[in-house]
Amino acid sequence: MLFFSSSLYISMYCLLPDFKLSNAYNFNLTCTKAASIISSRSMDFPSTLFVPSRTMGTYEPIHQIGLWGENFKSIGSPNISPSVIFDVANKLENESETTSHELLAPSSKYDQEASKPFDKIQRRLAQNREAARKSRLRKKAYVQQLENSRLKLIQLEQELERARQQCLYAGGAIEVGHLGISGALNSGITAFEMEYERWMEEQNKQICDLRSALNAQISDIELHILVESGMSHYLELFRMKSSVAKADVFYVMSGTWKTSAERFFSWIGGFRPSELLKVLVPQIDPLTDHQILEVCNLKQSCQQAEDALSQGMEKLRETVSATLASGQMGQGTYLPQVAMAMEKLEALVNFVNQADHLRKETLQQMSYILTTRQAARGLLALGEYIQRLQALSTVWANRPHGPAKLTVENVR
Amino acid sequence: MQEAIPYKSQMAARSRLHNFLEGAVNDGGRRLVTNGSGTSVTKLVLENAVIVFGRRGCCMCHVVNRLLLGLGVNPAVCEVDEGKEEAVLNELSIINSGGIQFPAVFVGGKLFGGLDRIMSTHITGELVPILKEAGALWL
Repeated sequence: MLFFSSSLYISMYCLLPDFKLSNAYNFNLTCTKAASIISSRSMDFPSTLFVPSRTMGTYEPIHQIGLWGENFKSIGSPNISPSVIFDVANKLENESETTSHELLAPSSKYDQEASKPFDKIQRRLAQNREAARKSRLRKKAYVQQLENSRLKLIQLEQELERARQQCLYAGGAIEVGHLGISGALNSGITAFEMEYERWMEEQNKQICDLRSALNAQISDIELHILVESGMSHYLELFRMKSSVAKADVFYVMSGTWKTSAERFFSWIGGFRPSELLKVLVPQIDPLTDHQILEVCNLKQSCQQAEDALSQGMEKLRETVSATLASGQMGQGTYLPQVAMAMEKLEALVNFVNQADHLRKETLQQMSYILTTRQAARGLLALGEYIQRLQALSTVWANRPHGPAKLTVENVR
Repeated sequence: MQEAIPYKSQMAARSRLHNFLEGAVNDGGRRLVTNGSGTSVTKLVLENAVIVFGRRGCCMCHVVNRLLLGLGVNPAVCEVDEGKEEAVLNELSIINSGGIQFPAVFVGGKLFGGLDRIMSTHITGELVPILKEAGALWL
């Protein structure tokens, strides 16, 4: 971290015999410029470098950039290489030639143009601003480049992982090429993972907002806004899932993007609506008798719909299995069976979509049954339930071998 | 004074009672066959309180059937062979002046929708009254 204070130097400079205010401005600008360039080049400067005023005070007034560079060296920081100093010197020279000239022979120049110090100061300020602006733009471009490279890297890693897995499943008869590590598939998954990370951040933020809103007793109208944004946030997740299911339905089915405890409860790519209702309804008490009846009916309808979908999945498994196992087994030729099974397997996308459709409808129906305040409590409870599952996953992953110890460190 | 049961659902009730035992053995509904001709399909739609059209071996169709069975409905199921798919689809579209996709559910002689609509109306609680009105459910 840089604790650079240009005003500090001006004040020290004032103590010196042949002080001129214009020189001080000069020095200030040069230092600031140098600092911004140095900071953009190396982020791990030691803090001791710029702070001690006593150290700087012992040196002669500086008229040359080169000398100034030498002073930095003699402060005794091993981290600045001479090349950096001279780089800085060169940079400063390139950016403001007039400035360096004036530094080399300040007294005469200033005596001659004593009538327009203000213009020079303005010009130098403008140059400073320009340099800072250019620096910011360069930094922005660099960061952009880094982001792109990072994306590419994630994509490549995914591809590699998938290639490895496909190789394991391939066996001898099928070329690895056929198993299709297509660019579209991977970019779909990569995009989803990034989107999901952002979704999760937004989700946690919304949970915090809901928590403080309910504690603060805000009006129903304001609470309604929070509930609405919570609902549409979930709809956004379903949209994302639908999109990635088209690219790779097994990715959604396996729940790779979720934590381990969440995956434990996974049913066709997500939570079972009836299970969630069981968890959340006690948190939304008190309910009117009419509401209790409606929620009961909803629970039952969910159960029935889930059963129907589960039975459909079972039928799909039987169909794929039967298709794959058809014909004689043992000769090592099975491309036709694989092709037929692939056709049957395409129905899996429909199942994921129907399961998400069921989740959406259940969420919607709950919002009709409940009041705004109850809905807010429900969303908060749901969000926290998921957070608890995620915490469970973390603690489980870090558990010591032996009896589990729940200490403050390993429960976030 | 109870309302007289309309004729078409009376017929459906009779055929349902007749087929009930058969249907219970299968994994969903009463199996019907169509040769894809116009009159045959229309007749099926009108004769049955609830009928589900789907491709042979379609799992989504299976989901619809299991759901309806779970509600106490014994739907007629028409499994369409691959070759006859288009003909049946065309015919059904004519009846309903619109695009139809498999699985297609007809309730009370009219197109009800696909699995999406079945799920939505079931969750909102609208499905059961509709089925009762069409005479597909008794209690």
